[in-house]
Amino acid sequence: MAERQDQSFEREDFAWLVAMSIVFFVLVAIALWREYATPWRPWQHRFKRVLAQAGRFEDARKFHSGFRQIWNPELNLADRCVSCHLGFEWGGILPASLPQPLTPHPALSYMTHHPFERFGCTTCHAGQGWATTARGAHDGGPGWEEPMLSKQLAASCEVSEAELIQMRCNFCHRRDVSTEGMDSLNMAKKLIKRRKCLICHTIEGQGGHTAPDLTYEGDKSPEMFDFSHVTGPKTAFNWHVEHLTDAGKVSPGTAMPDYNLPPEQARALALLILSWRRINYPPQYIPEAGAASAAPRPR
Amino acid sequence: MATDLQRVWRKLTWPWSPLSEREASEAIVRNLWLHWFPAKVSGRSLSWSYSLWLGTAAASLFVILTVTGVMLMFFYVPSTERAYGSIKDLQYAVSFGRVLRNQHRWSAEGMVALVFIHMARVFFTGAYRGSRVLNWLVGIALLLGTLMLSFTGYLLPWDQLAYWAITVGTNIASSAPLLGWTVQYLLLGGHFVGQQTLLRFYVLHVFFLPAVVWMLFAYHMWRVRKDGGLAAIEAVRAERRAEPKPMPRSKSYSLFGLTPGTSVAVMSSMGLEERDQVASSPNLTRRMILVFLAVFNVTLLLSLLFNAPLEGPANPAVTPNPAKAPWYFVWLQELVSSTTIHLGSFTISGGLIGGILVPGVLLAALILWPFFDRSPASAEGVWFARTRTRQNAVFTIISIGIIILIIVGLYLRGPYWHLYWPWSRRPVLPQVL
Repeated sequence: MAERQDQSFEREDFAWLVAMSIVFFVLVAIALWREYATPWRPWQHRFKRVLAQAGRFEDARKFHSGFRQIWNPELNLADRCVSCHLGFEWGGILPASLPQPLTPHPALSYMTHHPFERFGCTTCHAGQGWATTARGAHDGGPGWEEPMLSKQLAASCEVSEAELIQMRCNFCHRRDVSTEGMDSLNMAKKLIKRRKCLICHTIEGQGGHTAPDLTYEGDKSPEMFDFSHVTGPKTAFNWHVEHLTDAGKVSPGTAMPDYNLPPEQARALALLILSWRRINYPPQYIPEAGAASAAPRPR
Repeated sequence: MATDLQRVWRKLTWPWSPLSEREASEAIVRNLWLHWFPAKVSGRSLSWSYSLWLGTAAASLFVILTVTGVMLMFFYVPSTERAYGSIKDLQYAVSFGRVLRNQHRWSAEGMVALVFIHMARVFFTGAYRGSRVLNWLVGIALLLGTLMLSFTGYLLPWDQLAYWAITVGTNIASSAPLLGWTVQYLLLGGHFVGQQTLLRFYVLHVFFLPAVVWMLFAYHMWRVRKDGGLAAIEAVRAERRAEPKPMPRSKSYSLFGLTPGTSVAVMSSMGLEERDQVASSPNLTRRMILVFLAVFNVTLLLSLLFNAPLEGPANPAVTPNPAKAPWYFVWLQELVSSTTIHLGSFTISGGLIGGILVPGVLLAALILWPFFDRSPASAEGVWFARTRTRQNAVFTIISIGIIILIIVGLYLRGPYWHLYWPWSRRPVLPQVL
């Protein structure tokens, strides 16, 4: 009797065991394949061909496919953007017309003071440097607060991409009077003086006390702004733009005068205000006031 | 040639077909890993339809969690500065890191669900009676252990969700009478959420709680055996005892044979007959492997399809809107928020009612239930026994209530914790740029 029951269990379970084992092997194979088929691999294959087409046969031969990153623990930075954006260091050799993500980085005059291996990508461009997928790197996913400063984002703010990036230059250059390449924010800094903001506002310990301290205004959560009188998009940037243009409309009863600033000045000032954040960069990255054009000191 | 092939095939397929009862029993007794099982098990206990193998499935998840968890420990750094980055590294840079973390996450959520469903099964089959009361209590401790493991694990990525879940959770703990503040202070390792908190939750998650749950689980399994197997056999056992047994024929028994019933020689220790039982090896072990494989496949499939959520890095200055607890705690959050009363400028926090009293009463009810169960013994080990209809109805209603609260909290609560239909438009929250 016992014998028969044993066999019935075997008959019942054996087919399932085989089926489950097959499913197991298929799933493990898929996991292995996904580990290999990363989004950056095809770009690396293409880049090898691009190098060969440009006549750099030796470099093409030496080019090894694999995960890449710029790592700088001083800035807590691991920028894996370069796993796809492979042409960034090849300006002058590869054509600037090469489509993204292989395009070489433009050779801007201040780039010599800001080498890639120290500053990475996200220091200026924001985005999620940890990510190895285009979406993860550019949008950052839910809850990511530093999306890449893209052309689209710049267009939605009616400024240029370069102007958006100047906001991040100012993380280190906030004490400069004027900095090469930061035209828009240089203008904003002059406006702060010309419009005498410090009569009421305190910025870095200097100024009056009748208006809010703006030293770390850029850290303020966008949800802390009152958008009930804002007509444009609900962004901290736009709140500042409208507030600088017509303070009485955005904050009824405010003591702040209506400056009626022209739009480009209001936007530049808003970017300057948003750049005022509590950033903990090591001191060797912060230029001395007025010494904007000098290179950050080597340690 | 044919015999060679047969031998190779046998080596590859590794068949296990014991030639005798003794060989089958020894396979269990002699094996360190298997010998917490009985050598023989009732066919009724092995059936799919009675137990649904939920406990085995939950245990399989716990095994998967232990293995994936240990692997994750090689990469995770329990520091407020590095924790979030190490999770991002797992997601993007570590080989198989993403699938590993996904599997750990989905197995954890599955374990909470399965442990609860397993408890519901035990309740609906009235399997907590008699000597099994102790195992019911151990089971409740295991449910609490699972929930605490989930909660402590939830915090380790140190993202916004983690940070604010600790804040909400420990604030609820602090609303407990008398000991509230002490408990909060103990959990946080201070007055604020910080490095000490992360370290405490980490040690609880990777050492203390798993050790407790492993020990309780081992005891839980051992108790099943000591209680004679699953409650499903109680009906068979009663039947067998009532069956008139044939008179033993041997001469030496003739004197005793005058009394009805069975003698030592013909009655097995479980009150079951030979025909009710099968050898544990390979019948029980095969099915266990099958359940484990099925559970593993489901979690791996989920891990390949869906990524474990991860929000922005923890930011004490910005609360996510809305800040939601994980689904298995969101019903408590919903209770806390709906029992919070605003009277003018006064607010009476629902932390005590929703966070302490209601779950406390539910827990007490679970613990005391077997001692007040007055249903007849015939209800033991039977699905939805008629004599237990009222009890089952109470359990079902409370469970449905909790599920409704979970659905409301999870899908209907939007920004500012307002109620929205899933299809209605929710306000767009302001952004920086």
